[in-house]
Amino acid sequence: MTIKFAELNIGEAIPSYTANPITRTDLVRYAGASGDFNPLHHDNTFVEVFGMKRVIAHGMLIMGIAGEAVTALVDNKNLRKFSVRFAGMTEPADFNDFENTKKRATITVSGKVVNKFEENGEKRVKCDIVAKDALGSTKLSGFFIAAV
Amino acid sequence: MADKSKLGMEFPPYVIEVEKAKIAEFAMAVSQKNDKEQINPIYAKSEAAKKAGYSGIPVPPTFPTSFMFWTGGGLMGIVNSLGINLGRLLHGEEEYEYFGEVCAGDVITGKMKVAKMFDKEKKDKPGKFMEFTLLETEMRNQRGELVIKARTTLVER
Repeated sequence: MTIKFAELNIGEAIPSYTANPITRTDLVRYAGASGDFNPLHHDNTFVEVFGMKRVIAHGMLIMGIAGEAVTALVDNKNLRKFSVRFAGMTEPADFNDFENTKKRATITVSGKVVNKFEENGEKRVKCDIVAKDALGSTKLSGFFIAAV
Repeated sequence: MADKSKLGMEFPPYVIEVEKAKIAEFAMAVSQKNDKEQINPIYAKSEAAKKAGYSGIPVPPTFPTSFMFWTGGGLMGIVNSLGINLGRLLHGEEEYEYFGEVCAGDVITGKMKVAKMFDKEKKDKPGKFMEFTLLETEMRNQRGELVIKARTTLVER
């Protein structure tokens, strides 16, 4: 399941990961799993007070999806640092207009190797990552460091 | 508006036992799966986790953020004690440093403090400011070992 970083040079891309289109059910499931019940993520009557058309995904769901992308490449136990800056909101797909709204809700995480070094007596790799929707809008960017 | 007098404030420590079922539930949520059988088995089965080199079922990388939601009044408690307007709240940044594994059955003590509070002028609206609050949390296990440091940046737009 993991990749061989010894075979990747600095600047080379890491395999990308595409999640399923995010639905309101995904948001409710994440709210329950994480305990983040900010109504911004499930209650339309709340977001309308603030002039928004629909609920948005938890930033941490997008980072969680990025975490899935990262741990598809490196074992969880080898992760040393994981850091992101949130750049944009993600609206879920609407089931009554799925074909026209799924792109804004489909997240792809991509990245590249930016450094290889030794620290604490182990070989480590640093990769920059970015999560974008299928329209090209950036949701978060950041990096991870892992022992390899 | 965030209450700047809260800079340096330490929240009461929280203690939480890492539950096996919550790990599987979280792994299902971030992998968008309906069934425990569909997730990475290290998050659901002790034997699979041990075979993969873990001492027990490990937590997914972003799981530690949920500790703060299950303790100390949750998000609303934190937001209210900092004077942050929930309707203007955005999550700016999140960072984890991992020093040791966290597995099902571990008892984690988290100490969170308000490390920084600052304003930044909006690029598109001169004279208007975004307010930033940086929360730093140290998490230790039942043996007192530092396992995770987390940094959360909250933004009021």
